[in-house]
Amino acid sequence: MRPFVYTQPQNPQAAVSAAAANKQARYLGGGTNLIDLMKEDVERPTELIEVADLSFNDIKSNGAGGYTLGAMASNADTANHPDIRKNYPLLSMAMLSAATAQIRNMATNGGNLLQRTRCPYFFETSMPCNKREPGTGCGARKGMNAQHAIFGWNDQCVAVNPSDMCVALAAIGATVQVQQAGGKTRTIDFADFHRLPGDQPEKDNTLQPNELITAIELPKPIFADHYYYLKIRERSSYAFALISVAAGLQMEGGSIAKAGLAMGGVAHKPWKLTEAEAFLSGKKPTQENFEQAAELAMRPARTLPDNEYKIEMGKKAIIRALTQAYEKNA
Amino acid sequence: MDTSIGTGNPIDRVEGHLKVTGMAKYSSEFPVDKMLYAQAINSTIAKGEISSIDISEAKKQKGVVEIITYKNAEKLKTPDKKLPPLSTTSIQPVLQSPQVHYYGEYVGLVVAETFEQAQYAARLVKIKYKKETPKIDFKNHRADAYKPEEESDYSRGDVEAGLAEADQKLEATYNTPIEHHHPMELHAVIASWENGKVKAYASQQMINDAAVTISNTFQIPKEDVRVIAPFVGGGFGSKLHAKQHVILAIMAAKKTGRPVQLTVTRHQMFTNTNLRQHNEQKVSIGAAKDGSLTALAHEIVSHTSTYEEYQEPCGTVSKMLYKVPNNKVTHRLVPVNLQTPFAMRAPGEATGSFALESAMDEMAWKLKMDPIEFRIKNDTQTDPSNDKPFSSRLLVECLRIGADKFGWDKRKMEPAKNTNGNWLVGYGVSGASRAAPYQETSSKVILTLKDGTVLATIQMDATDIGTGSYTIIAQTASEYLDIPVGQVVVQLADSLFPVTPGSGGSWGAASYCNGARMACQNAIKELKQKLNVGDEKKMSVKELMTGNKLTTYEAQGTAKPSEAFKEHSVYSFGANFAEVWVDKDTGMFRIKRMLNVGACGKILNPKTAFGQIIGGLTMGAGMVIAEQTRVEPNFGNFITRSFADYHVPVNLDMANVEVVFLPEEDKIANEMGVKGIGELGITSVAASIANAIFNATGKRMRDLPITPEKLIMAGVEPGVA
Ligand SMILES: Cc1cc2nc3c(=O)[nH]c(=O)nc-3n(C[C@H](O)[C@H](O)[C@H](O)COP(=O)(O)OP(=O)(O)OC[C@H]3O[C@@H](n4cnc5c(N)ncnc54)[C@H](O)[C@@H]3O)c2cc1C
Ligand code: SF4
Repeated sequence: MRPFVYTQPQNPQAAVSAAAANKQARYLGGGTNLIDLMKEDVERPTELIEVADLSFNDIKSNGAGGYTLGAMASNADTANHPDIRKNYPLLSMAMLSAATAQIRNMATNGGNLLQRTRCPYFFETSMPCNKREPGTGCGARKGMNAQHAIFGWNDQCVAVNPSDMCVALAAIGATVQVQQAGGKTRTIDFADFHRLPGDQPEKDNTLQPNELITAIELPKPIFADHYYYLKIRERSSYAFALISVAAGLQMEGGSIAKAGLAMGGVAHKPWKLTEAEAFLSGKKPTQENFEQAAELAMRPARTLPDNEYKIEMGKKAIIRALTQAYEKNA
Repeated sequence: MDTSIGTGNPIDRVEGHLKVTGMAKYSSEFPVDKMLYAQAINSTIAKGEISSIDISEAKKQKGVVEIITYKNAEKLKTPDKKLPPLSTTSIQPVLQSPQVHYYGEYVGLVVAETFEQAQYAARLVKIKYKKETPKIDFKNHRADAYKPEEESDYSRGDVEAGLAEADQKLEATYNTPIEHHHPMELHAVIASWENGKVKAYASQQMINDAAVTISNTFQIPKEDVRVIAPFVGGGFGSKLHAKQHVILAIMAAKKTGRPVQLTVTRHQMFTNTNLRQHNEQKVSIGAAKDGSLTALAHEIVSHTSTYEEYQEPCGTVSKMLYKVPNNKVTHRLVPVNLQTPFAMRAPGEATGSFALESAMDEMAWKLKMDPIEFRIKNDTQTDPSNDKPFSSRLLVECLRIGADKFGWDKRKMEPAKNTNGNWLVGYGVSGASRAAPYQETSSKVILTLKDGTVLATIQMDATDIGTGSYTIIAQTASEYLDIPVGQVVVQLADSLFPVTPGSGGSWGAASYCNGARMACQNAIKELKQKLNVGDEKKMSVKELMTGNKLTTYEAQGTAKPSEAFKEHSVYSFGANFAEVWVDKDTGMFRIKRMLNVGACGKILNPKTAFGQIIGGLTMGAGMVIAEQTRVEPNFGNFITRSFADYHVPVNLDMANVEVVFLPEEDKIANEMGVKGIGELGITSVAASIANAIFNATGKRMRDLPITPEKLIMAGVEPGVA
């Protein structure tokens, strides 16, 4: 590892100022992603800034019917919090499917939103990778891409966002609270938080330089009764999703009032299935409707040479997740 | 103190408390004065030549003591032919030329006062290369395939004729991917030179062979090399020989005049500690209507490196497991720009049995025969490959008893007929065999009598690679000296101790214990002779010591295979059963139950034996679930770089595992009747699971691992292929 300094500012504002003063500084969450990438020489910060403000660890009701998840609260504490389990079981289920108990104990909510892709070319500094080193080319596009995107990619980058938590957040809807330099704050809609590669594959999200995530705001819970997070992976735990689907259904008088549907492992950002959601709204929870929703969702998919399997797997995963979501407490 | 006497008891590991309290010292943990730390540098191309090296930046860093590259490395012995076979005693020259043969090859070494300094400076060494196009996937270079010099082809009878007369024929090709051994303990060494002699704490499975490699590589007398490895955290074959990092550390210790510690990183465990190669195995089987085999051919194409040759004997099982008059095995190798493959747990059997035992299942289905009855129909008590009788062979018993315990009668012969909600349920079986070798082994016993109590210390250069050697050797000494296990101390893995074959090839338990037995029996015999009493007279060791007025006594013993051993084929046998549930939509599957029935001689300690089998079953299950090293086709680097993406089974993947040992008395194998079990447990496990997947889905999966991706592409829906 390269030498770096470690600082612990006492509040968010001090942290943002410290970051503004050093272009090579990074915020430190649980370090489960950042430290790994430092060991790989992919990230080379000269300073790690860890906010020592305990209010960042809170998980509490926000007074508007929703909940606030502190950026520094651990993934484990968040997923296991009794209120989150009760009101946002879809989020809990997704978060608990991720990584291992040890990693979830360390990982923070802010860090989870910003974890980098697992694309192997990104991790290996001797390989070409536009995300790591803009302009070097996309190794995966011409190489191994079985684990890569089927939506929203271009020749610049075909990577996928690896987070499970973010897939559930995309289905549920949320906003991200950030602190800027000079004491200003900003709210970003979750759908706009992550981005597609476009011509800046090095940018995973729409955060401005030095912006610090302080919290994630969850809306009033509507998927507490009918939800399912389906994660298809190579082994029963401790593996990233090949494909995942977060499905939440709000039922009213035997029909779907509102559907929340998002996919993981398919795009540069958590992939919200907006068309399928709209289609399901007002429909009966039948197998045919679920199948049609899946067809609609997969229509824009474009496969890469190695990931053709994701089409069939994706369809089946959507249908299964919707079926399970409906049958849960049906 | 353990008061039990003798073998056969499921006692706890005698070194267990040392391990759980952190007192057991592994190779990198010995306190050594003035020690330096080394970090090896890996090439970032797969083929070509180093064109320039700039060490100026690295050299300047605090703590950096030495930087070694091919330009200033000590000249070592290099091979005198192009593709020398890689063995456990092969020389391991390193940094001898600017040539690069594979991605990740060692191209330099930084030695510094601290580990962190060495690591940091290693990153600052700038190396430029003249790149050439590497050959990576052997399937694209079949024209380069050659027949290895060593016994690669075998045949008996006439396979073509056997196939011609068959009522049912099968020809199928099976692929097993590149895998890595990945023992938990990283390869590590602390090397020093004292008075012109090498001392190396090195994580090795075979102490004597490691010393031979070191002495031959540096061209120094073997007596001047001492290797020490009291605790080894697993090896699976990767620690059979001393690898280049051992040579690097010794070279650096000489250059700096100080002890040097070198730990191979987990990343380097992929690039620099050998691998199990990708095997493409074509199996052709002919069978008569009644199920008797008429022909069996097993043709293997695989890869070796461009600088050494290794051939995994995948045809071993096909030659001897079933009675078939016409049999043929061939091996072909393609040299590619990857490091040399080497033996990984059950080399030949683990992979070869996947092909053979899958093909047997395919043929049983063609014949509409129960796969157990099909195997039993072709049982033999004579090894067809050499016409020697088996010393003992309970394959049929393993299959029958296993079927009974497993509830095989609940299996539906027709695939995809057993469902449970979204799950497709299948049962699979496979037969297993693994040679039970036994090799010359020496040992020393030191008896002391103190305060009326006899203590025995056993010394030998055997290793305990997590298998339980300490425990079973202590139990053996306890048995032959008739003293409690708690009065036996076992000291292992030091070149100063009597020579053993080391841990590998499933010969450890039989060899070590018989070696210890001989030393103990000799001690008693010699003490009786001194007293002029006959062999038959029963006297305790304590009586013998007091009778001789001795407070300490040493004896040596050497055990070796008997004539009877050489006249027989000596194998352990077993059967695996698996119940697998496949999700019809997601392609994910769960191994719900596994049962392994083994007939593998005398069980010295049921607890450690059980550990060996469940370890084998887990590794075998890993072959099916996800274990696979992926190679980048253009650059030749491994894109599976850590345990995050090199997927071994997790607890949740392994459901209920039951292990049964059939009682077996085999005094031909050796005087104690001990056979190997370290590799039996992994053999053909993969086939039993793949066969269960066929039974569940009707899809025959011939390429490991069987990932959700492959099952989805196979179109898993109820229906028979
Ligand atoms: C082996 C392994 C397996 C895994 N498996 C899964 C899986 O199956 N599913 C899954 O979803 N995840 C998985 N993960 C990823 C894990 O969820 C992430 O590593 C974790 O969520 C990152 O959180 P952290 O707090 O450790 O982030 P860090 O590593 O500390 O930080 C990550 C990034 O976020 C930035 N950052 C942190 N906090 C803030 C903040 N408040 N404001 C602005 N920037 C910030 C850091 O500067 C850094 O760039 C796995 C990780 C590992 C190592
Ligand atoms: S897919 Fe993206 S992350 Fe992967 S190599 Fe291409 S540019 Fe880099």
